[in-house]
Amino acid sequence: MIEVRFHGRGGQGAVTAVRILASALYLEGKYTQAIPMYGTERRGAPVVAFLRIGESRINERDLVHNPDIVVVLDPLLSRTVPVTEGLKEGGLIVMNFPKPGTEAGIGGRFMLATVDATGIALEALGRPITNTAMLGAFAKASGLVSLESLEKTLLEHWPGRLGEMNLRALRTAYERVTPPVDVSGIQAQEKRPREEIFSKDVSSWRIFKPQLDEDRCVGCRRCYIYCPEVAISMIQGKARVDYSSCKGCGICGEECPTGAISMVQEAL
Amino acid sequence: MGRWEVMVGNKAIAYAAKLARVQFISAYPITPQTSVVEYLAEMVASGELDAEFVNVEGELTAQTAALGASAAGARAFTATSGPGLLYMHHPMHATSGGRFPVVMAVIHRSVKGMQPDHSDMMAQRDTGWIMLECENSQELLDTGIMAFKIAEDERVRLPTIFAGDGYILSYTAEPVEIPSQEDVDAFLPPYRSSYPLLPGLAEEARRVQMEQWGIGQDPQLRWRRQQEAMEAAKMVIMEVNEEFYKWFGRRYGNGLVEEYRCDDVEAFIVAMGTIASTARTAIDRLQAKGRRIGLVKLKSFRPFPSEEFRRLGAMVRAIGVIDRNISLGSGGITFQEIRSSLYDLEERPRILGFHAGLSGKEVRVGDIEMICEKTLRAAKGEGPPSLVEWI
Repeated sequence: MIEVRFHGRGGQGAVTAVRILASALYLEGKYTQAIPMYGTERRGAPVVAFLRIGESRINERDLVHNPDIVVVLDPLLSRTVPVTEGLKEGGLIVMNFPKPGTEAGIGGRFMLATVDATGIALEALGRPITNTAMLGAFAKASGLVSLESLEKTLLEHWPGRLGEMNLRALRTAYERVTPPVDVSGIQAQEKRPREEIFSKDVSSWRIFKPQLDEDRCVGCRRCYIYCPEVAISMIQGKARVDYSSCKGCGICGEECPTGAISMVQEAL
Repeated sequence: MGRWEVMVGNKAIAYAAKLARVQFISAYPITPQTSVVEYLAEMVASGELDAEFVNVEGELTAQTAALGASAAGARAFTATSGPGLLYMHHPMHATSGGRFPVVMAVIHRSVKGMQPDHSDMMAQRDTGWIMLECENSQELLDTGIMAFKIAEDERVRLPTIFAGDGYILSYTAEPVEIPSQEDVDAFLPPYRSSYPLLPGLAEEARRVQMEQWGIGQDPQLRWRRQQEAMEAAKMVIMEVNEEFYKWFGRRYGNGLVEEYRCDDVEAFIVAMGTIASTARTAIDRLQAKGRRIGLVKLKSFRPFPSEEFRRLGAMVRAIGVIDRNISLGSGGITFQEIRSSLYDLEERPRILGFHAGLSGKEVRVGDIEMICEKTLRAAKGEGPPSLVEWI
């Protein structure tokens, strides 16, 4: 039996990814179990989902604690979540990361394959939803599932235009993912202390950040009213963003009537 | 022939209701049951399923509406979880008391918190409903179809719950075989109520109802009749399980309990639901190491298969019972009932009770292996004669 753990953020489609993968593997004659970890998730919060792949019926109903493979849907997640925890020695990590894997801060007796899934998703879908791109990367890096089975399942899941768009993300990532590199010589980056993980700082959840042009801000308070995280205050008639509370949803930018707020992609 | 699909447990439940051609559905959404209602609503809206779908304002009404539809002669279905099931408690007595064969899916959610345990169903223990527990999505689909046949049998005529652990089954996707509609139709003919409470039949219905309710007679009579129906249900459950096997090639033990690798063992553990599924792996690992321990899966919680446990208890020296529930101030519910079943044996095995998985606490293969090792020690006469532990 092969066990896989997916790390992502609410809204990146980790649950959909394991379900599509389970269906695709079933087409290839495997028995599968796709297990989402449900709690009180919200958009942007760290989430996990699991996949078991076997040759016959799988009876285990506990969670996956010692995965053979870890898939990370978000480039910043590994700074706050111990993504390699319990990963078997020699295990494979497939990670959304736009730079060489040796710079991802992941170290240990693992193999690491990287792909700029956020970039691919923005190209193919116009949104940073990275699950289908990461499925393409998973297929290539692990060799466990064929691109054809994934394509077939994906089009069944999203018939029409949405399926075509996701197909593009899947194929592009399949082509662009790097071959797995040995990261045993690399010093793993220190995780932040646990207190910080549970703090209200959500700045690492962002892919885009709002940038304010004070000259165009007319102080109408629309952004202040619509911000779901109460991250905007009005100071001397102008909006000001508290970036530790902003998860980058972009609602302020949508609501701003004068175009004073633009969304800028965060640099890694 | 059926077809296969990778689906979540809640979809398997919806398929059971659809294949059974339910005529009436009333339900109120609650996590983790919600998607059952969503799947069924889609099936009704698209015309795939010809049923009356009634949106209600709460579970008390969901149960009462299903009761009314069943009384009028319709095949009625509802589904709920945790606190929703508690809110149904009052009319559930009326459904069983009126002998209306409503079928309900219970997707377990603890009465304390969101995560699963069996406390929701155990709180309905004495409502007079048949209760069948499932360990995987295929079993949910199959048991859902069987539930109608059991509930509607003239010897039974009792409402029936089929249940599975929320989250663990409700949202996990795995391959499930969907039987063909033709086969299900042949296995489960349309419901014909002998006494529908419809205008014109009122006189006959009144007579039957008065007998059932004991009006003008021994006021205890309706309790006694229900208990007799529960006893009769044991045979019916076993028959339906065998008939299902003939049609679909799957059966679940003898319908009441399933023995897993119990040949030539000195002890066995007892578990319900998904814990029984995980326990199979633990038993496989231990038997590979030469340990002589098996698993008995309790499938029918009501009626409770006391005779089965007497027969099985006579074969071993120790039993370890895992309860995903507790009767506070007393103890594990299946532990007590199994212990009580063994009382008439000349030579009784030792019996150990374990509380595990309450409020969704994860039960790992290793936890069950440890339970097995403790039970095996008891079988060798070591440790206290009886023991209760929290895992």
